[in-house]
Amino acid sequence: MRNADRLCLAHSWVAFAAFLAAAVLGTWQMWVRSPLGAHVGTPGQYFMSVTAHGVAMAYVLTTFFIMGFGYFVAVTALNRPLPGLLWAWSAFWMAIVGVLMVLLPIAMGQATVLFTFYPPLTASPWFYIGLVLIVVASWVWCGLMIVAMWEWKRENPGKPVPLAMFGTVSNAVMWLWTTVGVAVELIFQVIPAAIGYVQTVDVGLARTLFSWTLHAIVYFWLIPAYIAFYTIVPRAAGGRLYSDTMGRVTFILFLVYSLPVGMHHLMMDPEHGNGTKFIQVLLTAFVSVPTLLTIFTITASLEIAGRLRGGRGLFGWIAALPWDRPTVLATGLAFVMLGFGGFGGLINMGYGMNAMIHNTSWVTAHFHLIFGGSVVIMYFAIAYEMWPRLTGREHPSRGLLRLQLWLWFIGMMVMTLPWHWLGLQGQWRRVANFNYADPITAGWGPLVILSFGGGLVLLLSALLFTRNLFVLHRGTIVVIARPLYALAVHPPQRVPAALNGFGLWNVLVLVLMLFAYGYPIAQFIITPSPSAIVHRMSAQ
Amino acid sequence: MSLDEPSAAASRVEVANDVDEESLAEVMRVVPLGAGVLAGSAVALLVLGYLAIYLLVFLPRGTVG
Amino acid sequence: MSELHPEIHERRILGTELLWAVGVGILIAATLSTIVFTALTRDINPPSNVERIDPKTLHLSGEFTEQNLGTTVDADGAVTARVIATQFTFVPRCIAVPEGRRITMRFAAPDVIHGLLITGTNVNTMVVPGFVSQVHTEFTRTGDLLMPCHEYCGLGHSEMWATVQVVPQNEFKPDQDRRVACAKR
Repeated sequence: MRNADRLCLAHSWVAFAAFLAAAVLGTWQMWVRSPLGAHVGTPGQYFMSVTAHGVAMAYVLTTFFIMGFGYFVAVTALNRPLPGLLWAWSAFWMAIVGVLMVLLPIAMGQATVLFTFYPPLTASPWFYIGLVLIVVASWVWCGLMIVAMWEWKRENPGKPVPLAMFGTVSNAVMWLWTTVGVAVELIFQVIPAAIGYVQTVDVGLARTLFSWTLHAIVYFWLIPAYIAFYTIVPRAAGGRLYSDTMGRVTFILFLVYSLPVGMHHLMMDPEHGNGTKFIQVLLTAFVSVPTLLTIFTITASLEIAGRLRGGRGLFGWIAALPWDRPTVLATGLAFVMLGFGGFGGLINMGYGMNAMIHNTSWVTAHFHLIFGGSVVIMYFAIAYEMWPRLTGREHPSRGLLRLQLWLWFIGMMVMTLPWHWLGLQGQWRRVANFNYADPITAGWGPLVILSFGGGLVLLLSALLFTRNLFVLHRGTIVVIARPLYALAVHPPQRVPAALNGFGLWNVLVLVLMLFAYGYPIAQFIITPSPSAIVHRMSAQ
Repeated sequence: MSLDEPSAAASRVEVANDVDEESLAEVMRVVPLGAGVLAGSAVALLVLGYLAIYLLVFLPRGTVG
Repeated sequence: MSELHPEIHERRILGTELLWAVGVGILIAATLSTIVFTALTRDINPPSNVERIDPKTLHLSGEFTEQNLGTTVDADGAVTARVIATQFTFVPRCIAVPEGRRITMRFAAPDVIHGLLITGTNVNTMVVPGFVSQVHTEFTRTGDLLMPCHEYCGLGHSEMWATVQVVPQNEFKPDQDRRVACAKR
């Protein structure tokens, strides 16, 4: 473990530092757009904050955390040193340079384009080049994950790849596919426009290419949480994983179905017809399957643990679970938020029903709840499991870990549930301030304030989280080595090649992407749409 | 955790110690009934909630095409 | 081990997973069917006309020149509202529409991506430079509705909104140019 300890810690600290800064910004934003902060801040400051908050949460927290956790899994689950340590460190520093190149233009007001950066709104070229560097660094990580698994398979012929690593590599392969969309958009459209090489941009094509990345990226974020569900949580609860096979099936289904569904983010866009939109709605229904399978498999795994601890009857096992363990608590809270968030997602993907909520606060509520809620709470749980093993020190008290998790859950629910309601009322998103004197918006004020209250609780939780990790660098208690990974009820001796590798599945991804995105992208080449003039935000 | 310490996942004894096979077999007679009911109810509630929004909010807002 | 304890046998476990998958699969298929049903019978579809227009010249000639904007009623009674979305206003800022009559709303943007919704209705569309967005609908209640721009379009985005004035049918009268303007209040 030692060779990658510092690597994991470095990545994770960058991730969580970005997270804390973004949490502060998010809280400020909520204050400013509520009646309480109605005359605070200019639109320029507000949207600068939204850009920084989105970039930090969606690109920095996630990418760095996932890379760090991946290195951790590659060493601990495969029980071998990480290959290519020099490559890994080089990628880390490249990503750091990328982060600085992204953040500085934002701070200087030259990149107020939000984390989605839809052209023709165009930022300083440094912003985009910084993003490219972060993405390229993540590609190095992908390569190292694939190499680590490949080398292990060569040393262990015929054996099933440990599930945690199988999930990690499925995520890495999926990420390589995912980033193609945004990379093509940046390299061929946005960066040439930003540096002034072209004066116009095909907006419809840019939006379509970004949508390729935009949905799959949320699965990139989510899969580490699912890796924890399958490989860490059953052990933490004191039981077994109900089915290792279903874990593999889940990761494969995510690899295959996360990508050809991006168009459900373009449901209200005029550049695509009903046919392609409906096909992608159908495929979106398929991508709900791995989540539904996971809910069952992990609940069954928890049932095993609860019954082993003496739980009786239909539901007695629930109370019998060791809820005092942070990982178990986080899982329970994550599943509750997954329920609400999933409900929102079901509405969002509902073809015509998307019109009811598109670009309203419902959408903001949905992704804060499902990502900020279910996924990030599992990032906390993973951090609480990784840190003692990386620092050699144990948490002095689990009470504060549990408090931090509860605060996150309560804050997230209080923040996002009112937003769902406001979205149904028609409250639209990405707004610096509302005119609360207007009769329609006046009624929204109290709910916006309530939601802001939730945000304050989240900020408190974020501060406590940082403190909980910090303490582990100072404590004197030496860690008692605890096993981390779960065993399945039926530990696999051999698995079919299709559940031990990704060759076949890559072919399926290609076929599905051609089917789902082939024509939607080709149409921009066959019948070019009139382009729009580049609109430089950096001039302001 | 040092480099020469084996991964916990590799150690059957370490992990298997916590779960006695006899008790596991006993428990597996009932599992996944509780999980099925809990998860099934949750998903059913989700679908009912979806239908409620569909009928009570979406459709009344009128056609759009 | 599994030979001694058949309950743990992999096949039984996978069998329960399959049963669960079939169960949720049916629920998902049911929800999808409601979507298909609505699309086919109630004419509720996303705005997807895929109609191209040059954003750089749309103000100079053709359908979206200034004098064509707003609500017009043509010879056979079809009501059409044409609106431009631009930084940071809708033109016109007030759109008169009839209650209880089918209306076609057409939007275009000469500059950056905008979007709009009309509160209390299912009218929602992006307005992407290069394309005309078209929505057919029928307003069921009279009164003033809010039509904000809901896609970030620059620093003035928060101030970009229009009013949709839903007028009772007997008050919805075109002038000699066949246009209907908002009532002054």
